[in-house]
Amino acid sequence: MNRFKGIIKEIETSGSLSLVKVDVQDTLFSTIIIDTPETLTSLQLGHSVDVIFKESEVALGKEPFQISLQNRVPGNIKKIERNELLSKVELNTAIGMITALITTKAVLDLGLLDGEDATALIKTNEIMLSYD
Amino acid sequence: MIGFHIKKRLNTSSGETQFQFDFEIQKESFTAIYGESGAGKTSLLRMISGLMKPDDGTITYNGKVWFDQKKNIDLPTGQRKVGFVFQDYALFPNMTVLGNLKFALSKSADPVIIDSVIDITDLGELKSKMPDTLSGGQQQRVALARAIVQQPELLLLDEPLSALDTVMQQKLQDYLIKVHKEFKLTTIFVTHDITQIIKMADQVMILESGKVVKAGKPTVIFGQSLSGKFKLSGRVLDIYAEGVINIASILIGKDVIKVVISGTDPLSIGDEVVVASKAFNPIVQKVGE
Repeated sequence: MNRFKGIIKEIETSGSLSLVKVDVQDTLFSTIIIDTPETLTSLQLGHSVDVIFKESEVALGKEPFQISLQNRVPGNIKKIERNELLSKVELNTAIGMITALITTKAVLDLGLLDGEDATALIKTNEIMLSYD
Repeated sequence: MIGFHIKKRLNTSSGETQFQFDFEIQKESFTAIYGESGAGKTSLLRMISGLMKPDDGTITYNGKVWFDQKKNIDLPTGQRKVGFVFQDYALFPNMTVLGNLKFALSKSADPVIIDSVIDITDLGELKSKMPDTLSGGQQQRVALARAIVQQPELLLLDEPLSALDTVMQQKLQDYLIKVHKEFKLTTIFVTHDITQIIKMADQVMILESGKVVKAGKPTVIFGQSLSGKFKLSGRVLDIYAEGVINIASILIGKDVIKVVISGTDPLSIGDEVVVASKAFNPIVQKVGE
């Protein structure tokens, strides 16, 4: 899994849901969770948390694009491990290595190659937090 | 508060073991004791209740000495204000539910406690039934009620849910929590089920060959600090590589599920794990459609 340390920067609560923004070395991740500062004491501004998302929840794109995904981390492809159906792509980014698991067809269609720039995209509801 | 500082040499399945326990348990807390068989979980409960004599040390309860080897004090079980519920409910088969509860009432006690226990454990409709006409879960609920009728301050539970199916377990967990709070009990609960611990206990102590090797809040001890709400605990049965991914088979309750993991996740067969997903992800479909 992809895991990065960050600090809670914003919390927007509505009912039992919170939209939480986490600063990971100046890259902002947003996640939606079923918790509020009332139900979870660790959910406070300035609190340190880990941002976690699975390799299979990372999409890759090439700029420019119009897309709803809020979490975008630009980087450079370090390595692509191709298999018949699935491929594992390692992306060097400002916050560290992000691994994406996408179909090999998508790698070919996009023409992704080692050393090229690409952006990792993660849906807001796919990011989990882990509290210290 | 219970102060437990004892030593005991015992023969277990893994040979002779020196048990050495030093811990304190706060009043009205719900403590889970977790460990493999032979770790000393049941022996610990037996020593607290006075059914087994430690070789050395002291046991105190709210400032009162229950056991002190050097001063030769060893209070009998009847004077220790403990209530028990075991895996095996052992109700009197020739008495009704109410009869079982009345039999447990001490002579000096106010019988009104029976009504309030029946009320809290929802046994009203089962009052006049015989034990052998009840389900396992109902019998265990009667066993719990019977322990509470004796008005213990300390409730000792030895795997009380392990003979029940999952649905019954969940119901009885709710009753245990209710009874624990309502009667302001100090509860000590022996189990090897992490899900039960997370749901019920304020703290957990992990035993390994007669010693407490870890203690603390269940969510911290079992690494359940993840925000995901779809969270289950289980054990890894198998891991195999499938191209660029690995597939793990994980036993959760009686079900085996498969989860895609990455080759870099440090998991081995036999590991106790938490499987977590966000509440947004699972698809729920009614059975039979």
